[in-house]
Amino acid sequence: MKRKAHRRKALAALKVENERAVVDMIRRWQALPPGKRTNFLRKRLRWGASAL
Amino acid sequence: MDATPWLRQVAQALAEVELEAVLIGNAAAALQGAPLTTVDFDFFFRRTPRNVRKLKELAGRLGAVLWQPYYPISGLFRMTRDDDSLQLDFMSVIHGAKSFEGVRRRADWIEVGGAKLLVASLADVVRSKEAASRPRDLAVLDILKKTLDETEGASKKGARGAQGRK
Repeated sequence: MKRKAHRRKALAALKVENERAVVDMIRRWQALPPGKRTNFLRKRLRWGASAL
Repeated sequence: MDATPWLRQVAQALAEVELEAVLIGNAAAALQGAPLTTVDFDFFFRRTPRNVRKLKELAGRLGAVLWQPYYPISGLFRMTRDDDSLQLDFMSVIHGAKSFEGVRRRADWIEVGGAKLLVASLADVVRSKEAASRPRDLAVLDILKKTLDETEGASKKGARGAQGRK
């Protein structure tokens, strides 16, 4: 029972942590001037794959 | 991969042929501050016989091939360059936008590598993705909306700060 409650809390914390990381990533990208936000292009590779 | 060389080349060529086109899609969202990636560039343009002629001229200047894939009625013109896999999609209709004029009015001029490009507003990109609702649109919608919230939050904070300083 205790382990289940702990797991629930850990997962909830992980979700919040993830949300924070996303907002952080957005803020870092937005901190750049618009003309510098250009490293977004993925190169097409074989077999339909792509990479940055 | 840095999109600057391609964006500069495209922006210069658009200016040379005097074709008015607004960058939309994930590339526009990235330039407007959303941390997204893409493999191609999407543009919204007004479809007139003159503009279609300009598209052909643009393809020539970029050393690319212009073609209409599958359904001509869709109003999609695709420009591809085999040498480096450059792909530009020009659309005359997009989901979530009633007119080209409205999207153009809300768009921003953004300077990339010394050339200016008309880039759709983040709100318009979000509206379009919401309306299109394809799985790949829905996959990025959450991050787009969060970015929009952050942008609006930052501009409100800026406006409050400016008022406070008065």
